[in-house]
Amino acid sequence: MVPYFEFQNAVKLLCGELALERIAIELELMGAERPLMLSDAVLTKIGTLAVVIQAMESEGVNPAAVFTEIPVDSSLAVVNRIAAFYREQGCDSIVAVGGGSVIDTAKGVRLVLSQNRQDILSLSGLDNLVRGRHIPFVVVPTTAGTGSECTGVAVIRNDDNGVKMEFLSPYVEPDVAVIDPRMTLGLPPKATATTGMDALVHAIEACTCQQANPLSSAYGTAAIRMIAENVETATRNGKDKQARFSMALASTLAGIAFSNSMVGAVHAIGHALGGVCHVPHAVAMTILLPHVMRYNLSHSAKDYADLLPWLVGQDAAMATPAGERAEAAIAAVESLSRRLADICGIPLKLSDAGVSKDAFAHVAEVAVNDGALIVNPRAADESQVMEILNAAY
Amino acid sequence: MRAIQSLVVAIVLRVVHAALVELRELDSRVAGEFERMPEGLSYAIRTGHSGPMLFVQWDGRELRRLAELPAPSCSLRIKSMPLSFRLFTGQMGLAQAYARHAFTMGGEVADVMRLARLVNLVESYLFPKIITRRIMTDVPETEVNFLKAYARIARGFLTCKYKISR
Repeated sequence: MVPYFEFQNAVKLLCGELALERIAIELELMGAERPLMLSDAVLTKIGTLAVVIQAMESEGVNPAAVFTEIPVDSSLAVVNRIAAFYREQGCDSIVAVGGGSVIDTAKGVRLVLSQNRQDILSLSGLDNLVRGRHIPFVVVPTTAGTGSECTGVAVIRNDDNGVKMEFLSPYVEPDVAVIDPRMTLGLPPKATATTGMDALVHAIEACTCQQANPLSSAYGTAAIRMIAENVETATRNGKDKQARFSMALASTLAGIAFSNSMVGAVHAIGHALGGVCHVPHAVAMTILLPHVMRYNLSHSAKDYADLLPWLVGQDAAMATPAGERAEAAIAAVESLSRRLADICGIPLKLSDAGVSKDAFAHVAEVAVNDGALIVNPRAADESQVMEILNAAY
Repeated sequence: MRAIQSLVVAIVLRVVHAALVELRELDSRVAGEFERMPEGLSYAIRTGHSGPMLFVQWDGRELRRLAELPAPSCSLRIKSMPLSFRLFTGQMGLAQAYARHAFTMGGEVADVMRLARLVNLVESYLFPKIITRRIMTDVPETEVNFLKAYARIARGFLTCKYKISR
């Protein structure tokens, strides 16, 4: 049977220096004049949001309103509140400046507005929405990890049950994503390292899950190489513009990859750890990746072996006996995590991330209901998720 | 061809419902899924354009088959009849169907995951291993002989056990 796959990426990327100054013309070309700026308190405080607003204002577009109360772990209620605020303020477009939480919240807001609803909960599902009203939507990522600027999914917490819900539709994709090296220069080393590992997880899971396809793997492998070559430099020297830009691009490539082939158990368990234990997403990804790779090894040995050249370089991969390449790929990931931990002290065990073993049963129960698990290369029930959690503790 | 596929899909949908009803009493994992299922949870499964449909609702005691379901908790629509035929004749598993963008879904992803686990268990009884190994990454072991499940389903059909609830 000839394999079937779908691939979509309709996001216009503005990449490189002075990209922020082009937001105004992009809004104008989309017929927008009154953007709602979305961000969070930290980015407001450290001046990142102001840099974007100044760049827009210098080219003649002033925000109609600004909302900066998006929390680290945003929720459906926040999305509904912002959608109401957008309507009250008479806005006609959205510019989101931030990391995964801000961008996913903005995607949710855009979805509520374009589908003309009051409550985002009524829109949950998979590819089930018709194209609604066009709300011009620009995102400016300030971390190099989520890839959310180019994905057709929004992950938003439901406070009623602590579950991170997934809204999967091509209509959550932004119109424009702005990759400007200025946006990540101030990212602290720990955040640089863990969000870089988050991007690595996106790329590895995209290349090895059941929905992997030739196009998503092309993006995923390119991302793996860029991350392997740049994440340590960007963590050690945050002012290195080339390393920062490469990481930002790698994150975007990985986002395009997994948006078109899904992720896997690292994300399923990570979402559950975030929802139940409030472990930051990128930290959970960093800790879980090698343990899930070991769990999947029996089903994914060839795929992992194929990733080795992208992780360690062609020469080192060729010097590794063919039968040992899958294990070597896992070892390369572990080694990279350890080197990053040596540079900036990121946690490599769940016990170091403040997780109690008492929560494992609940985490496992939530994880097996996460959509990312359905395409993991190896099935996992609650007891197998518990094994992974114990190994990562 | 489409008419034949549609007929087969209609029959298999009825069998899947019957198998869920019977395996709740035969298999502890199926029983466990229903124990944790929220009362009132409902599924609508539609196949292709105007193809056969299955509407079921868990009322806390039994999985009722309904004639219609205006507002299901979870709604699945298989995108075409050939895809539906493959899915319901053991040529494609539910995870593979997801990976191949074979259906759209309205509702919470968690409810699809619950259904996927149940369908995998049902298929492990209804289809021989030579088939299930091709459509699942890991085939669940059956807790009782598959013939026992088939016998109960056959008896259930003969006694009109699975008729539409009013």
